[in-house]
Parts: sequence; structure tokens; C-alpha cells
Amino acid sequence: MLLGFDLLDRQIVDRDGQPVGKVDDVELGYDADGVPRISALLTGQRVLGRRIGGGLGRWIAGVAHRLAGPGDRGPVRIGIEQVGRIGSAIDLTVSRGDLPEPPLETWLREHLIGRIPGAGHES
Amino acid sequence: MKRFFSVALGILTAIGGFVDIGDIVANAETGARFGIAHAWVLLVGVVGICVYAEMSGRVTAVSGRPVFDLVRERLGPRMALANLAGSVLVTVLTLGAELGGVGLALQLATSVGYLLWVPVVAVVLWAALWRAKFSVLENVFGLTGLALIVFVVAFLHLGPDPGQLWQQAAHPGPPQGEDWGTYWFFAIALFASALTPYEVFFFSSGAVEERWTARDLITSRINVFVGFPLGGLLAFALMLTSATVFHPLAMSVDSLSQVAMPAVLALGELGLAAALLGFFAATFGAAMETGLSAGYTVAQYFGWSWGKLRRPREAARFHTVVLGSIVAGVAILMTTIDPIQLTEYTLIFSAVALPLTYLPILVVANDRGYLGNRVNGRTANALGIIYLIVIVAAAVAAVPLMATTRMGAG
Repeated sequence: MLLGFDLLDRQIVDRDGQPVGKVDDVELGYDADGVPRISALLTGQRVLGRRIGGGLGRWIAGVAHRLAGPGDRGPVRIGIEQVGRIGSAIDLTVSRGDLPEPPLETWLREHLIGRIPGAGHES
Repeated sequence: MKRFFSVALGILTAIGGFVDIGDIVANAETGARFGIAHAWVLLVGVVGICVYAEMSGRVTAVSGRPVFDLVRERLGPRMALANLAGSVLVTVLTLGAELGGVGLALQLATSVGYLLWVPVVAVVLWAALWRAKFSVLENVFGLTGLALIVFVVAFLHLGPDPGQLWQQAAHPGPPQGEDWGTYWFFAIALFASALTPYEVFFFSSGAVEERWTARDLITSRINVFVGFPLGGLLAFALMLTSATVFHPLAMSVDSLSQVAMPAVLALGELGLAAALLGFFAATFGAAMETGLSAGYTVAQYFGWSWGKLRRPREAARFHTVVLGSIVAGVAILMTTIDPIQLTEYTLIFSAVALPLTYLPILVVANDRGYLGNRVNGRTANALGIIYLIVIVAAAVAAVPLMATTRMGAG
């Protein structure tokens, strides 16, 4: 498998097909024999900002960091054991609810979208 | 039987949905100034949108992923971000132009100034995207847009001179009083109006929302290959009527009321009513599509949850982008820029941004990783590459021609 071609920037969906995010970066670890292995997928604007780099990248990462607030636990990390099939998207074996919610989504729901009448209705 | 109706509805919606403010303005303006000497450009544009919409429909039906979702995987985060910025800019400008078009149609119907209508239209648009069932709206506005058939009827009523029209169509080039610079400038605007980028984003995202699979490929193809050319016919009728009425008088068209004039001349008040209804439906429908498309592209770049079928609170970021682009569209119009002029600028910027949209589609449509054995065949690739060359040429020439012809003023 080619890391850059088959994994990075691919859409992650949960076991119900709900979008979770993109593979903005991967975490590498070493197994018992010292061979590097992918240990987790990382997603979120902070990781993405680092990959984009430059002033714009720093800005994207900075905004994400500020939104995460004081209890910031770093980017959303999805352990490789939670990954199911890798196709045109990456299917997880867990539900989106089991993962930490992206801070921007939470903030916008609480401060803007959730306050508008009808936000909870399906159309 | 149910399937038959859904296909028929898809075709009708594609016909009405093809025409937006860009097509209305570009076709009527070129018709008035150049006769139908640009007829071939419209034909080239319609074939182009068919080729690329078929590809993006196929990519989505087979892979289950919308086109813009895959763009980032193949271009990388930086290039895709530049692509996103260009696409969103053009889409929001187009949204502004469509809102202005709705305002102008309402102004003609009510004599209340369009700038007063724009905020009202924007609120209705937002409410529609917030709460209403999208498939219903799409069908209603697509079908109502068919009122533009009045221009086909008007053309036949006006008793055109087929010999003269044939003369214009068969001899592409500037008539007396125009030069090659303005001829090509309008050719690019017309080409861009047929290949507006939001159409493919919208088409493929809509296919995901409707959960298309490989079995829907045939529906996709029928919609594209029947609906878009028939839509192009409506656009051609605008050019024909304008060429019949205004070109012999050496008049130029620079307002929506003038575009409607041939329908009034041929069919009186009924013609006016049908034309205004058609303008209203076509521009409002396109405003819905552009508003959603801005949200689709941003959400698909970042991997956010998106779509009309989710509760807004479950796609808060997507709905924020949609809301933000409507506000931005209104803000553009509130600068009191003439909506027709805004449309002209939008078409030229679209032309510049076209390669950003269409190159990645061609790349992805050749990717066996997503499409297996449904990748582009020889014909699709040959046409795709030819069109890409045309698209790049148009993109490169757009701004220099805009500058040298002073927006086509000559």
C-alpha cells in the first residue's frame, strides 16, 4: 500500500457510512521487530494546517487550536485497530459518536446552527 | 413505471436546470450583437458539459464518492485548497448573479426595484435550503423553468429569415461593426456559461444524496445526454430570438427586460408572463444549486458531514458555509453592481477557473482504484482531452481578451 496514494487525504466514514473527516495525517509507530507501522489515522484542521504549511497552514491550525479550548486533547486520533475496509473511502468499525467531535462542528452548532429554529428537523 | 417517471422527471429537470442567468445573458447578448454567428460555440459547450457530467456521474455512481471528495486525494491538500478557493469564489459570484437575476425578474413583474427584492429572495432561498425537501424544490423549479420554451414558440412566431440565420451560423466571425477580439470574448463567455463549474459539483453531490449506485449509471447517462442538449436548445432559442429581433436593428441587449422583449413581440402579455416565470424559476433554481455547491465543495475538501438529507445540527459546518455564501452573494449585490454586469464578470472568472474543475475530473475518471473497469473508454478520453485543451485555451485567453476589448465593448 502506498501511504500517500491510498491513505492520505482519503475520506473516513464510520460504520454507518457517516463522514468522520479526512485522513489529514498518519501516526507511525514501531512494532516489536522495529519495523515502522501505521498506528493511527489523524484528522482535524490542526493536522491539516501542519501539512499545508506556511502562513495559511499556521492560520488554519491556529484557529482549530483556539476552538478546541482549554481542555484541548490534540487532534482526533483513530487507532488502526478501528479501521475496517479501505476502499474509495476508509470504513471504520466504530460509530462516529464514539469518537471526539471536531471542535468547529461543536462550536458552530452551539453558537449558530443549533439556535436557528428547525435545526433538528430532517427535510 | 415508477422508474420511467423518475427518468422522465430527471430529464425535464435537467432541461430547466441547464439554463441560468449566465446562459440567459450570454445567449441574448451574443444573439443581438453577432446574430447566431456563435451557434457553434453553444454546440461545443453543450457537448463539453455532457462529456464531463457523464464522467462525474459515473465516478460518483461507481465509487459512491462525489467528485470534489476525490480531488484532494489526487491533487494533495495544497493544490486542492487552491482549487477549492477558486471554485468557491466563482460559485459565490455566480450565486450573487443568480440572486440578482431573480430580483430583476421580480422587478419586471412587480415594478418594485430589484435591490429591495434581493434580501427577500435571499431569505426565501436560505429557508428553502434549510427546511424544504430538496428533490421537491429541484423538480418544481426545473419544471417551471420549462416556461422558457416560450422563446422557442416566439422564434417560430416571429417569422425569422432562415436563409439569413443560416448565413450567420455557417460563417462564424464578427459581422460588420464588430472585430475578432469581441467575437472571441463573447465566444468564451458563452462557452463558460454552458460549462459552469457548479453544475458538475452539484450533479455528483446530488447523486450521492440520492444514493446512486452502479445500477443508476443508465439514469445518469439519460439525464445528461438528453436533458442537457434539450436545455441547450432553450439557450439557443434565446440566442435565435435575440438575433431575429435585435441584430437587424444593430441594438445591443443589456437588461433582462430586453431579453424578454422577443417573447412580448411575438405573444404579447402571455409571452411576457411565461418569459418572466421562466427567468424566475431558472435563476432561483440555479441560486439553490450554487448555494448548496459552495457548501458541498468546502465540506468535501475538509471531510465534514454535508448534505440536505441530514438534520442541519448534524451538519453545522456545511450549513454555516451555505448561509455564509448566501450572505456574501447578497453583499456583492448590495454594492449596487448591475446584476447583468456581475453576470458578465462571473462568466469570465468561470472561464479562468474551468481547468481547476475539469482536469481533476478527467484524472479521477481514469483511476481504476475508484472505478475498476468503469474507467473512461477511448471515446470519453479523446473527447475529454480535446475539451481540456479548449478549456485551457479559453482560460488563458479570457483575461487578456477582457482587458483588450474592455469587457466586449470593442
